[in-house]
Amino acid sequence: MSKPPFDPYAILGALERNYVDYVVIGGLACVLRGTDEITTGLDICTSFNADNLARLGQAVAELKRSGGRAVEITDDTISREPPLAVSTSAGELKIVGTPAGAPRGFVDLRRAATKEHLAHGLRPLVASAADLARMVAALDRADDLPRLTELRRIVELEVDREHALPQPPVAPAPPRRRQQSGRKLTR
Amino acid sequence: MVVRPSTVKSAVILREARLRAGLSQVELAERSGKDRVQIGRYEAGAVAPSLDTLIDLIRACGFDLPLDLKPLEAAPDKQLTSLWQLSPDARLERMLRRVDTPGSS
Repeated sequence: MSKPPFDPYAILGALERNYVDYVVIGGLACVLRGTDEITTGLDICTSFNADNLARLGQAVAELKRSGGRAVEITDDTISREPPLAVSTSAGELKIVGTPAGAPRGFVDLRRAATKEHLAHGLRPLVASAADLARMVAALDRADDLPRLTELRRIVELEVDREHALPQPPVAPAPPRRRQQSGRKLTR
Repeated sequence: MVVRPSTVKSAVILREARLRAGLSQVELAERSGKDRVQIGRYEAGAVAPSLDTLIDLIRACGFDLPLDLKPLEAAPDKQLTSLWQLSPDARLERMLRRVDTPGSS
């Protein structure tokens, strides 16, 4: 059986519609940050909050077209190694609770993650290049060396850009009012 | 983080090593014998540690920072920079086009 075509917009759309709290990590996040690679799956790191996992289960059910029945996802299923990989009609969705290099998972990653504007009005939270580099380095795979080099260079480019941007003008402080003594000057 | 271009490398690598080791700045200060506030300044990119200090701190995290001379490769950087100048949306669209037409660059 052939794999379904990868449609990240469909997966992200289902996650957004169901108000899932997540951060995009892995290959797709690296692509969004600027690495030159190809990926055919979406990896996310999600919050362990029970309500959030229920919403995630609903989103997965939507993607699997399981007749609207929510797929049960618990903190146990997303803590396992290897991570939970769900085959959906729009490609593979990998759900990771605590990725390598980010021991506190979602809480760790959301701090530096930013919302990125994508097509179809999607604005997913994407892990920062520095956090992605940390996760890739923690995996300690020889194949990941070019990706790690690119991510570290991207961090430098981002800092360079931040410094090149014109700083917003600082509004001048309002003139201080002279305190009136209340005593009238008399001639 | 207020990392400056001149301090970004040391700031990022130090923070990466500490977080991967699961250490707080206080714990790293205790392990390395350095001042906690100074470690915070290194990680924030306010100042850059000397190379020897950086290696000491990385080792206190349980990692090493091997130094090796390699010829500088300018070409990949040029490609990376031009890709990085695209918006995230354009980067994704570019990748999806390549998925549809394997072999294209």
